Amino acid sequence: MKILFRNGLLFDGRTLSGGKTDVLAEDGVISRIGTGLDDNGANEIYDLSDLIISPGFIDLHCHLRDPGQEWREDLLSGSRAGAAGGFSTLVCMPNTDPPVDNAALIRYLLEKGEECDGSRVVPAGCLSRERAGNNLAEMGKMAIAGAVLFTDDGSPVSNTNLLRLALQYSSRLGVRIMEHPEDRSLTLGAQVNDGICSTISGLKGWPSSAEASDIFRGASLSMDTGVPIHFTHVSTKESMNAMRISKASGCTVTCDVTPHHLCLVENMVISGGYDGVFKVNPPLRSVQDVDALWEGIRDGTVDAIATDHAPYHMDEKDLPFQESAFGIASLECAVAAILHEWKRRKDLCTLEKLLSLFTSGPASLLPEKWRTLGVIAEGSPADLTVIDPDFERVVDVSKWESKARSTPWNGRTLKGWPVMTVVRGKVAYKMPDHLSRVK
Amino acid sequence: MLKDKARVMTAQDIERILKRMSHEILERNRGLENMIIVGIQRRGVYLANRLGDILAHFESTRVPSGVLDITLYRDDLTLLHDQPVVHSTSIPEDVNSRKILLVDDVLYTGRTVRAALDALMDLGRPESVQLAVLVDRGHRELPIHPDYIGKTIPTSKSEVIEVRLNELDGKDEVVICEREEG
Amino acid sequence: MEWKQRHVLDLDTWKREELHYILEQTSSMDELLDRPIKKVPALRGKLVVNLFFEPSTRTRVSFELAEKFLSADVVNWSASGSSIGKGETLRDTAWTLEAMGADAVVIRHGAVGAADYLARKLKKSVVFNGGDGAHSHPTQALLDLYTAWKKIGSLERKKIVMIGDVLHSRVARSDIIGFSKMGSRVVLSGPPTLMPRSVDALGATYDPDPRSAVKGADIIYLLRIQRERQDEGMFPSLDEYHQIFGANESLLKLAGADTIVMHPGPVNRGVEIASNVADGSQSMILGQVRSGVALRMALLFVCLGGVRQ
Ligand SMILES: [Zn+2]
Repeated sequence: MKILFRNGLLFDGRTLSGGKTDVLAEDGVISRIGTGLDDNGANEIYDLSDLIISPGFIDLHCHLRDPGQEWREDLLSGSRAGAAGGFSTLVCMPNTDPPVDNAALIRYLLEKGEECDGSRVVPAGCLSRERAGNNLAEMGKMAIAGAVLFTDDGSPVSNTNLLRLALQYSSRLGVRIMEHPEDRSLTLGAQVNDGICSTISGLKGWPSSAEASDIFRGASLSMDTGVPIHFTHVSTKESMNAMRISKASGCTVTCDVTPHHLCLVENMVISGGYDGVFKVNPPLRSVQDVDALWEGIRDGTVDAIATDHAPYHMDEKDLPFQESAFGIASLECAVAAILHEWKRRKDLCTLEKLLSLFTSGPASLLPEKWRTLGVIAEGSPADLTVIDPDFERVVDVSKWESKARSTPWNGRTLKGWPVMTVVRGKVAYKMPDHLSRVK
Repeated sequence: MLKDKARVMTAQDIERILKRMSHEILERNRGLENMIIVGIQRRGVYLANRLGDILAHFESTRVPSGVLDITLYRDDLTLLHDQPVVHSTSIPEDVNSRKILLVDDVLYTGRTVRAALDALMDLGRPESVQLAVLVDRGHRELPIHPDYIGKTIPTSKSEVIEVRLNELDGKDEVVICEREEG
Repeated sequence: MEWKQRHVLDLDTWKREELHYILEQTSSMDELLDRPIKKVPALRGKLVVNLFFEPSTRTRVSFELAEKFLSADVVNWSASGSSIGKGETLRDTAWTLEAMGADAVVIRHGAVGAADYLARKLKKSVVFNGGDGAHSHPTQALLDLYTAWKKIGSLERKKIVMIGDVLHSRVARSDIIGFSKMGSRVVLSGPPTLMPRSVDALGATYDPDPRSAVKGADIIYLLRIQRERQDEGMFPSLDEYHQIFGANESLLKLAGADTIVMHPGPVNRGVEIASNVADGSQSMILGQVRSGVALRMALLFVCLGGVRQ
């Protein structure tokens, strides 16, 4: 199987080159990069003039709800949604039912993932047994089986000793610990950002310190043990500062931010009439927080953009705000939302910086064997994402591959879309009537 | 849009007619004893005051007068175009066993008077109620008949009778208007 | 004036002229409460459902009286002993109400946004927010405005000092909006742990010392202190609360002889307010109760009696 992509603007994972480049994918691997490549024997040829060809986007954090909550999402619907959203790789979170805390479930996910025709699915395993926060899960066995991250996401690791032990224990496994930063004693009953939104709504406020204090705690443990730690869905200015200070003092800490925290603000909870669609953990934050996250992207404090795609059934979301579930589904519009918002902030960071946060950034946080997913190079896996930076489209959640049927972006027109996703050398998604297939 | 079509009463006409009605009221009731004059909000109120003034002039005694708002008693609210506004009702004396003279500007379907009667009955049990109107334009939908009529003016339903009074409109006149197309 | 508010969910969308209009209308209704027969046929044939998920005798009785004085058909639907307690969602309840032909629904619910939610689900009925979580209680704010307006006239450039648990108070949130829109200046006081984070976002200022806050106040508004707040550790004791933040005669003296005292009820005597202040000549507490009925009559009539079919 040979696919030739002609005339694309090449983003190789680090830099965006101006000229037109051809990329040849052969049996799942990128075999040649160049100009005017011979199309001899290519099964398919696509003309990518004016489009960006990039390493396939990697989502470090999404909830595919498999096993046990398949009414919300399953591996197949999630995988197809990921591909439609421009992601070639999804890291699925282990807070399922039962939680993914053993090697058998890691193998289940990898095997079932192989059968899915959308994004590549790689699993994260729980840090603690039963995700209960008391004892270490069998991280060694899970690492051998193929777990790519360890996290109790959905919850923080509140027991500081456990988190320290996990860092120590995982040091030889080559699999990173991901912490969902939240001090639960500060967020009990909290619903929205502690600030304008909590003040006006009367909903209990979720203070920024609940997140930053956990980042400082984790950074301190990382410094102590010498083991890296990753903080996911970091959402506030104070947290960005915590990351900056920790990085500057030599801690091996990394973080990701989400599209909703980069594009939406707390006031939308109010202007949206307390619609549960805006309810998420951590909550939508202030304008200043959003600006600080973009500043973090610009100055390199942010290491990746991850969706935290959290699909729910309508019966769990379409409720009065306080009763609605925490979570925003976004796989199929996350990239577009980011590109759209980035255009509004164009002077802030370069497009290649932004694209690296979907590619080489997250790839560098995965175990060694996956890091080539983040680059386009001869010999690297043929996972590719093609971007049309000028294409405009209305988000229509009713047409999603995902089982989710609500998203804050529904009905919004976004400019800049992924139009093709290639996984293991096969076209996993192609936007209808968009790309011209030459052959 | 309403457009004036014809002026049917001038200020002098109104004054003359109110004087004549006052005579009829005195004649019919043989004086003013036990009477309360009640104007229906809003133009009825000013007409009631004027009748009260004229009667006071004739008889050298002042009849108590009150104001009745019937908004909450209407059965045709959904047909009105403007937001209903509740005005105040204030009748200075107990209406029980009194002769009530109800005053309004225009008598048309009779529904306003019907509502006024209901409103009045909720305030007590008058001995009798009489009705005085400046203009009777016909088209009754209820069995209601005025006791004192200023002037009967036959109209078509597409027409509107506008009673303009100094106190509210800056001049006294009665005009037939017509709705303009468009 | 053309009435544009379809539902009564929160006062944040109201203009000052709309507030004025309702105050004027309430005044006419107030007059009606003095009559021998208080019932008028204005809402004959209209079905109003009082949907109460939280026990609230005062608000429910006040709405019910208002509905009955206007001759509406009234159904009380409360959480205890109905399907609501058995896991029926608010969405299903909404559709049931609509199928029954409710012209209006009064909803009291513990969750913020419940009234907004109901209003989104109901295509025909008018929704009155009888209190949603700690968010909003617009009819309370309107009756407070009316009570104050009737007593002291124009509320422009007046100073209202609210003392107590602003953080958990829907009454405070709605009253701050209401009084601010009428041109009053709102000063908040109480323990810092019971203040929302961004007081300025509400258009109010905060003075932690009630004794300095009340100087020159036209209105002192006391908020109810829920005993659970002490259990949650928001302040050390009720006793300490009363000593520092409670309204007693000496606090009232600092304000002035013309200052009026308001409280949404029910009153915790000896906590946020001393008995002699609650029952004293400057107290408007009973006036607020009476205003509540008149105000709700005015709102029901304006939203249901008019042109809208
Ligand atoms: Zn999380």
